[in-house]
Amino acid sequence: MAGPAHPEAMAPPTPGRTRTAPPQMPSTWWSAKRIRTYLLFDATGVVYFLIAFLAIGHINALGAGPEAWNAAMQRLENPIYIAFHLISFASVVFVGVRFFRLFPKAQPPSIGPLKPPPGPVIQGMLYVAWIGISALMTAILAGVIF
Amino acid sequence: MRSLLLKIEPVIWLLFGQGILIGTMLLTGWILVIGLLIPMGFVDPAALSYERAHGLATASIFGILPIGQLLLAALLILPLWKGAHHVRSLLIDFGGGERDGIVGGLLYGIAIAGSILAIIAVVGL
Repeated sequence: MAGPAHPEAMAPPTPGRTRTAPPQMPSTWWSAKRIRTYLLFDATGVVYFLIAFLAIGHINALGAGPEAWNAAMQRLENPIYIAFHLISFASVVFVGVRFFRLFPKAQPPSIGPLKPPPGPVIQGMLYVAWIGISALMTAILAGVIF
Repeated sequence: MRSLLLKIEPVIWLLFGQGILIGTMLLTGWILVIGLLIPMGFVDPAALSYERAHGLATASIFGILPIGQLLLAALLILPLWKGAHHVRSLLIDFGGGERDGIVGGLLYGIAIAGSILAIIAVVGL
């Protein structure tokens, strides 16, 4: 993709009698229903960036000692951080639901003699793994087990 | 820069894909407990006191496999690559492809820098 096609690229060599308007993207293209979800999926990348750097700072504090760790945990009680974490939780669930729906469609038809299981089975396995890992991590981090 | 990005595309895609798959699976519980349940008072903060948090982070299986640090490294590094690749794709949609080489290089540069910081943080536990 070197760039957008020239508007006259497909024009006949001699102008005909029918006048046609050059193709033009509407200025509100991003608000079209079908592309909105796609753009929203891409926009969650910003949230993933922020949450990763926030978590890196958190683990840095854990390595620095008890005072730094307690200060880092206390900082998260700020309503701004809680609002950000609400947004990021919604983003993560949105990414999971959308990606696990697309995942079976992206499978190769076969790897050697092996064929992938049918789409709903793959999707089911992904959901089991996602919910299982999340439940396990929540239980461990919240002190329910271990 | 663009030809370099095209050459390392498989590596970027691997990290990006695992950022969605593994990153999402690990981040869900992390955000729920550390970002929401503890700060909002639903879970006792003692559950992640320094001693317990440090113990979990440095937990290992049979004293050989540092499972806590490996999971943390995945949780910190992979979402960076998901973020970089998706922000790049968002900027192509809104700003066109002309500056993609510079923008992509910059975003992956941030992801590389973040990955190094993450490794330093995890090794320093």
